[in-house]
Amino acid sequence: MAIKSTETQWGGMAKLLHWLMALAIIGNGIFGLIMVEMPRGMGKLNAFALHKSIGLTVLALLLLRISWRWFDRKPRDEPMPRWQSLAAHLTHGVLYLFMLALPLSGWIMNSLHGYPLQFFKLFNLPALAEKNEDLSELAETAHETLFWVLLLVVIAHAGAALVHHLFERDNTLLRMLPFARLRQRKSGDSP
Amino acid sequence: MKPVACLLSLLFLSSPLLAADYTMGKGSTLGFTGTFQGEAFKGRFGDFQAKISYDPADLASASFDVTVHLASANTGDTDRDESLPGSDFFNITKFPTAHFVTTRFREEGGKVIAEGTLDLKGVSKPVNLEVTFAPREGGATLDVSARLNRLDFGIGSGDFADTSTIGAEVTVNAHLELESKT
Repeated sequence: MAIKSTETQWGGMAKLLHWLMALAIIGNGIFGLIMVEMPRGMGKLNAFALHKSIGLTVLALLLLRISWRWFDRKPRDEPMPRWQSLAAHLTHGVLYLFMLALPLSGWIMNSLHGYPLQFFKLFNLPALAEKNEDLSELAETAHETLFWVLLLVVIAHAGAALVHHLFERDNTLLRMLPFARLRQRKSGDSP
Repeated sequence: MKPVACLLSLLFLSSPLLAADYTMGKGSTLGFTGTFQGEAFKGRFGDFQAKISYDPADLASASFDVTVHLASANTGDTDRDESLPGSDFFNITKFPTAHFVTTRFREEGGKVIAEGTLDLKGVSKPVNLEVTFAPREGGATLDVSARLNRLDFGIGSGDFADTSTIGAEVTVNAHLELESKT
């Protein structure tokens, strides 16, 4: 598998970042919903610290991903109606926005609470806002709501990929899967 | 008769003829600095009393006696402040106060060090204070600071003993506005 993307297939780097971030974001979201229910204590403090460190990792991976996407070529769109292709690209744009907004809203919320922000016990990051308990409640709601809305967009994104795979029988899904072989295009489509 | 001798010496030491006695005035503060997840945080004890007897020219007769009501600790974070009175930290139902009393004063490199004993959460251990004393009209200001290891006194026990999350070293500092006893 080539590191860079080709005309028909996403490259190794794009696939790695796609699946790693999908796992990190959804996993950290579920983890976040569980950790808030934990009884107060060191276990909870450590769970929050881990959640924040994973969130910061997502943010760092996003920056890497945007840089890579800018540098890497993009595969051509699979043959599909124009509205589908527009909807797909719009969804991707929205997903990128959420990937940025989710960790950033967490960071801001943490700052408003006045909590330290430590990356895997290695180093600390500065606060993005002054401590403000009232606003922190608002940020908390925003942070959680963003996750639920992101989840809906992810379901739309994955659902569309599955529809293309199962009913259109094209390579939309396969070209993003780590070890899949592409389907042969119908005659006339292939270059 | 040892107890009697003790009592007599106490009376003798606390005599105003030997050292200047002070009461604690308004504007006096007692605070501490700890670290949590790599970041320093500050706390205050709103309720404490200090009996100070101090004359820079007569350190042999100086004495500090400080009582701190641990329930008055405030660090500006609700979760933390609700945890501090609990048995993992101060355990205030069993040990409501901390007490510090000096045993002797010495000079070291131009600084005055007050040696004493801190009684905190059922543990008595020696603690040294660095003393800065400045007389003023009608009284004096006294600044002291000490560094101690929270684990020596079992502050943050069980899971909370993990120093990679809650630092072991705590700095205690007090600023006292002293008024002369007359």
